[in-house]
This record gives sequence, C-alpha cells and structure tokens, in this order.
Amino acid sequence: MASRARAAAPRWAVVGVVVAVLAALPAIVAALPVADDPVPAAELRAAVLASADVQFSGYAESAGGLALPVTDQLDAVADLFSDRTEMRVWWRGPDDHRVDVITPAGETGIHRDARGTWTWEYERATATRAAATPLALPAPPDLLPATLGRRLLSETADAELARIGARRIAGRDALGLRATPAEPASAVRQVDVWVDRASGLTVQVVVLGETSEVPALDTRFLDLELAVPDAATTAFAPPADARLRTAEETEIVLEAGRRLVPVPFPPTVAGLPRRTLEGAPPGIGLYGRGATLLAVAPVPRRLAEGLGRTLAQSPDAVVEGTSTRIAAGPVGLMLVDPRDAEPYLLTGTVTLDALVEAAAQLPVTRAQR
Amino acid sequence: MSTVIATRGLAKQYGRVHAVDGIDLDVRAGDVYGFLGANGSGKTTTVRMLLGLVLPTRGEIDLLGERMPRAGRRVLPRVGALIESPAAYGHLSGRENLALLDAAGPGGGRRDRRRRITEVLDQVGLGGVGRRPVKAYSLGMRQRLGLAGALLRRPELLVLDEPTNGLDPQGISEIRELLLDLHRGGTTVFLSSHLLAEVEQLCSRVGVLDRGRLVLQDDLAALTAPTGATVVRTPEPGQVRAVLDGRVAAVDGERVVVRGGDPAEVNALLVRAGVPVTGLAADRPTLEEVVLAAAATSADRVERER
Amino acid sequence: MIAVELRKLFRRPRTWAIIAVLNALPVLVAVLLVLTDLAPRPGEGPPFLSAVLTNGALYPLAALAIVLPLFLPIAVAVVAGDSVAGEAQAGTLRYLLARPAGRTRLLVAKLVAVLAFVLVTVVVVAAVGYLVGTTLFEARPGAGTSVSGTSLTAEELAVRTVLAVGYVGVSMLGVAAFALFFSTLTDSPLGATMGALAVLVTSSLLFTLDAASPIAPYLPTRYWLAFVDLFRDPILWRDITRGLALQAVYVGVLLAAAWANFTTKDVTS
Repeated sequence: MASRARAAAPRWAVVGVVVAVLAALPAIVAALPVADDPVPAAELRAAVLASADVQFSGYAESAGGLALPVTDQLDAVADLFSDRTEMRVWWRGPDDHRVDVITPAGETGIHRDARGTWTWEYERATATRAAATPLALPAPPDLLPATLGRRLLSETADAELARIGARRIAGRDALGLRATPAEPASAVRQVDVWVDRASGLTVQVVVLGETSEVPALDTRFLDLELAVPDAATTAFAPPADARLRTAEETEIVLEAGRRLVPVPFPPTVAGLPRRTLEGAPPGIGLYGRGATLLAVAPVPRRLAEGLGRTLAQSPDAVVEGTSTRIAAGPVGLMLVDPRDAEPYLLTGTVTLDALVEAAAQLPVTRAQR
Repeated sequence: MSTVIATRGLAKQYGRVHAVDGIDLDVRAGDVYGFLGANGSGKTTTVRMLLGLVLPTRGEIDLLGERMPRAGRRVLPRVGALIESPAAYGHLSGRENLALLDAAGPGGGRRDRRRRITEVLDQVGLGGVGRRPVKAYSLGMRQRLGLAGALLRRPELLVLDEPTNGLDPQGISEIRELLLDLHRGGTTVFLSSHLLAEVEQLCSRVGVLDRGRLVLQDDLAALTAPTGATVVRTPEPGQVRAVLDGRVAAVDGERVVVRGGDPAEVNALLVRAGVPVTGLAADRPTLEEVVLAAAATSADRVERER
Repeated sequence: MIAVELRKLFRRPRTWAIIAVLNALPVLVAVLLVLTDLAPRPGEGPPFLSAVLTNGALYPLAALAIVLPLFLPIAVAVVAGDSVAGEAQAGTLRYLLARPAGRTRLLVAKLVAVLAFVLVTVVVVAAVGYLVGTTLFEARPGAGTSVSGTSLTAEELAVRTVLAVGYVGVSMLGVAAFALFFSTLTDSPLGATMGALAVLVTSSLLFTLDAASPIAPYLPTRYWLAFVDLFRDPILWRDITRGLALQAVYVGVLLAAAWANFTTKDVTS
C-alpha cells in the first residue's frame, strides 16, 4: 500500500503541471516569432495611406496618458486622451462606418453616413444627429489605429521614417514604422506605427512624448477581421422611445472661432510653417505638420482671465509675468495675457520653449479700452 | 475459518507521533472481536484505516479478503460501520437519513430500500419514531439510528466504535442482544471499546492496543483460562494455611489462592480437616487483570520525558 | 450520488432562505425606484437599471446586475464552502466515505449540486425580477431596445435573457470552485466560505488597480459584467467567450487541486 505522501505527490504533480502549462500559455503565444519583411519604409507608408477604403471590423483599445487641463465643456474630449477607451468598429468606408465606445454598463455608438453622424448614448437613451463638417472635435473614431495611423503618416516625410521590425498584433503580422519628427520644436519624440502587411491597415499607434517613457497615446486593435461588414450594422435608425437631439458642440466651437477678429499671423512661428485646414476658422492660426502641430488663437480678455486662473492652479504650471504655460505629456498649452495687448492662447504638440518662442513672434494687437 | 480482517505491520504516523505502530490484526469469520484500548491508544485511527478514511503510513490491510483501501468500492458495501459518534442531517427524519445514506453508495438496492429501512428501524427500536427530524432525537436515539445505518445492507462485517455510548442500561442490554443475535446469524463483529465489561460479555476474541501497539490478541477463553490454582473462600484463612501448608499462593482477607487445579480435591482436604469453606472455584484471571498486565499505563497520561 | 446531493441541498431550509434573501434586494430596489422615480445617472449604478423605467421587462437583467457583484457570489461561496467542510463538521463525511461514496464521485456530485444551486438561484432571481418588473413598471414585453440602440424582437430579447442568465450562472462557477477547494482543505465551512470571499474581494480590488492591469485578464471577476455584451447588437462575443474560458480554467484547475487534496486526505473529522 502506498503511503499517504507517495499517493499525494503524483496527484499534486499533475495539478502543478496543468497550472504551469496554463500559466505559460500566454507567454508562449506572445513569444512566437514573427517573420519580418524587408519592406522599405516609404512603401509601407504608401500602403497605409492607401488603406482608407479597406473594409474591416474589429475591436480596438486606446489608452491615453494625457491629463489635459480642460474645462467641463470638453470633458468627453479630455477622457479620450486620459482614459482607456474600448471601441468596436465596423468600417465600410470613410463615409460609412460605425464605432461603438464600450463601457461596462452601456455604450456610445457613432454611426457615420454620407451626410453626417448619429451618436447613440444608451444610458441617456439619446440619439444625436450631427451634420458632416470638415473639422470636428476629436471623437473616438479619430483614435482608431487605422484612422490615426493614416492621419499621422499622411504628413510625414520619408526622411523621418525608419523600419522597426515586426510584431504580432491582433493575431496579425504587423510591420513597424517609426516616425521621428524633424522639427526641433516638436514635443513628440517618436510615433510608432504598426502596419498589417496584408491590408496596409494600421493596427497599432504608439505616441511617445519628449520627456516620458509612458506613451502619451497607445491605441491598438485587439481583434481585426478583414471581412466586409453588413450595411445593416453600420446604419442607424433612432429607436422609438429615444430622445432626439442635434449636435451643437462642434458648432459652438466653430462659431467662437468665427467670431474671432482675424489677426495677421506670421508665416512661420518657432520654426513651424503656417498651414491651412479645411473648415478651420480664419481667426485661428495653424502651424506645423504630422505629429507636430501648433494652434494659435486670440481670446477675449474675459475668457483669458478665467482660463489663466484655472491654469495657474495646476501644480505643474509655469507662471512668468503675464504668461502661463503648462505641459501635459507632449501637449503644451500657453496663455499670454499682456496688460496692454489682446491675449493669445497657444496649444499643440510642441515643447514649452517652442511655445515661448512662438508667443514672442505673434503680432501685438493694442487693447481696445 | 476464513480471515475477515488481517493487517500486517499497519502503522500511521502523524508527524513525529506514532498513532498506530505496526499492528497485525487477525479477525476471523464468526468472531465477535473486542478491540480494547484506553482513550488515545490508536483504536479510532485503526478503525478509520480499516474503513479507508485514514490512509496508512505503512503496512497492509485485507478486508473480507481484499486489499484496502484499493478495493474499498467492492468491499465496503459489505461492511457496516459506526465510527465514533453517530452523525446525521439534523433537518431530515431518521428514515430520510437512512435513505440518503443508502443511495449514496453501491450495493444498496433501490427497490427494497423502503422495506430494509423499516426493518432496521424496527430492529434497533426506532420503528415508531415517525417523521421527527433527527435534531429532536436524544443521544441514545441517535446511537440507535447510527446502528441502523450500519445494519442497512445486512453486512457480513460490522465495525462498531463504542456502540453503546449514550445508551441507558436497558438500551445497552438491548443492543447487546441485537449484536449477539446478528452474530448467530453469521455476522462478524469488530467491536472497539474501552469498556472491559462490555467486551467480556460479548466477545469471543480480544485484541488489546496500548499506545499504538497490539500488546495482546487471543481468544477470550484462552486469556481467561484456569491458571491451575483454586480460589477458596473461608472465614478461617489461617486454618487453610495450616492444612495446606506450602500450597497456599496468596491470602487476601477471606480469599485464599491454593495451587492445584482441581477444586474438588482441595475441598476434600479442607472439609476433612474441618475448615469451613464458603466458596470454591477454579482460579481464572479476569479480563481486567489480563489487560492491566499487558498494557502499562493509561495513554492519556503524559509523562515528562527523562 | 448526484441525486443524493441534490436532495440534500434542496431539502435543506437554509438553501431556500439564502435564495429568498437574495431576491429581497432587487425587490427593494424596484420598490424604491417606483416610489422615487429616480433613475441612476448614466455611468453609475448597475447596468439596465435606468432602462427599466421605460421597460419593466428588462428588470430580470437589472436584478441580476444588482446581485451579481456581491450577494450572488456570497451565496455561492456559502453553499459551496459548506459542501465538504459542512459534512466534515457534522460528522456525516466519514459515514458517506465509509458507505462508500468514492471521493472523486463525491467531489463531482458536490460541484454539480452547487452548480444546480447557482442555476436555480439565478433563474429564481430572473423570474422574480420579471414579475416585479412587469407589475411595478410600465412593461412593453413585446420588444426592447438593445444597448446599441437597435430594436430587439420579443423572441430575441427572450433568447438573450436566457443566455445572460446562463452566463451569470457560469460566472459563479469560479467562486464555487474556490469555495469547494477550500472546503476540502478545512473542516470549517465558515473558513472555506471566507477563503473564497477573500479571493473574490482580492480579485475585485485588483481589477480596479492600474498597477494590476497585466494580470487583470486572469482575475476571476474580470468578465462578470460581460453579460451586458449579449444585449449589444451585434452581440459582442469577445469578453463572453473569454469569460467562459476563464471560468472553465478556474474550475478545471481548482477541481484538480481539490481532487488531489481530497482523495489523499486523512478524514479525521
């Protein structure tokens, strides 16, 4: 007869082996080698830019590391860049797709059609219609790796690009592409874009700031299927008992921009050339390209005073005379409020030094007292 | 006569404590085996090893000719057991408890279950207890119910650990009769107890356990066989010594032990000498004397190590 | 053996007392909701609770969501923790094993009984929820709106509710397996229950901790709320399949550990 110890040992050994195998499984799967493919960076970039019409569906997760010092009206935008956002996506084309932001107890679905978007908020039982505008506030669909990768690479020069190997993302072999912004003003150290070599879809984007090892933004697909989604899935008809609204947020921002008195912006600030963007109000000066962007706008004095106080309360704020500046990861924000001239607000993915330099180059408009 | 329980070098060690230390039990078919031992001597551990509840550290067990605990599934349905105290689900009636226990293992036919339960309940004297839940039972009733559970499948072997616990004198005598009755019907009984009197009255074979070791195992008749001396009761022990000079082994008040195994011969000598004799018997050791001689001290004594 | 365990479990008054207590909370919430007409704010409160005000037929789901985080796992831990340790404490374990009920069989039967308890409990909570929902609230049993804003037919809603009830039941298996394993380690049912609850609390806590995010996918409570995903349109199977697989792994490993321990254990109770 076997002793107790001898009878117990093999049984526990079986349990131990089972646990060890199960525990090692994720690590083994992750360690499976991925074959790299020596595709040149420029060719890979071209594939990404041509991928807007690739139809797919999937599940993506974006994690933002930015704590934006913004006001209550823009809470939703701030959350996008500071939180973890889970998204389901069905993409039939740039004008026909649906992105659901998944929360544990509900969801917010954004259905795009040719004329605009329906936004369905389950917990408020509200459907909001917004007309398509060339310029809109950042929304979850902008954080999809596929969309973001195209946007970031579209303005990147080939010289800024380098290949960085391959890895497996969402079960697909992805080739890496690293964009290192050439502008000294840029607060973005590098942008890593991982591209599904079969379809050209970007499957992961990691934005690293100049100062931090924690990505300012990391968005990736967890599941990706290259099948054509059903048209019925992306379409939306508001349910009978939903409250219907028309979106105003974008309009409010644009309206405020339109009311700004146009200022003769210089063609270059802090080494960044002026640029245009379709739909942007002329009162706002836009500079830079790719991952390095800077927006300058004159702000009404009343608004500037409130904003200045809010910013100054932040422990990281640098207050120098009448200007206040603050950085949240690679995003810098600066308020210049000289006593005898109109205030300016500068913000973008540039360093604080670049903000100071840019502020000094702005035209001085005498205060109208 | 076949062997019902046979162990070889059976031992159980808990850490550094040797609860059972290499015992060789030998229980034969038809025995009423008294397994004697003080509290803590290892009786319960041995019983649990026999039933496969505790796994031995060393040694072998054959139960009804098969190796335990490997053959437990085949052997145990033929064994009825009462292990330490009885136990039952308090919210159910005795009848339901028996039905559940019977259904929980092999060897209990479903068709005649109701009949068998009625029978054993009558047998242990609980026939009229009805639907009362077990939590309303007295200690004695629970003991009877436990016994009923052990008898449910007419086992070939009954392993009983202190079966008369909590019973009143009438109850004890009833159970004794029941066990003797079963024994006459061919059931082998393995009775573990610390009550010498109970074992002496019931058993045909005795094993004595002392601190994990089997110090004695024999037929009761052999253990208490005449010693070859005669016990004389007399109000005049001095006269006895005078008459049977040299043959008197011990004098204890009116009790005189005389060498010589034939009481008639001793009596003739004494009567001839005019010594009054009030009692006369062949000398037999009591079980108590045998056990005390074999087992050194009580096992619950914990002596300082020297 | 399994039938015996089921009889033991469901003939026990305590089992039904637990189920009754479990139903008290959703009923209380429903009454308060009707009296005050205050729905939880978006993003707060249990899923589906705000939707109940417009469609009482969704109350079974809200009821499940109410008992899911705490009440239901406690009930499961109590019953599963008692399964072996309770028998040991009552002394009936030695009689069962000497009967003989094989140790592995007993373990499996206990797990099946706990599983049956979970199922009955979840179904009762859903059924009571339906009764309460349709009597207290304005019910439109004909159809419903999915979380994604599409319309669901009565049939779809019914099928998905059944799936959700099943999924919540499966979610409890991990807790049950923990409690059952602990139950074979100790002779104290309370100890086994507390052990399982400690695991549960640890898991819930780690889930909220960013530093623990690398192990988050392996926490037993990670996918509990995924039953909500059944009401998205199309159904989001991702977390549901992961949840099912995770529970299966926990049940498999813990049952194996319980088996390794219990079959080689000295029963001295």
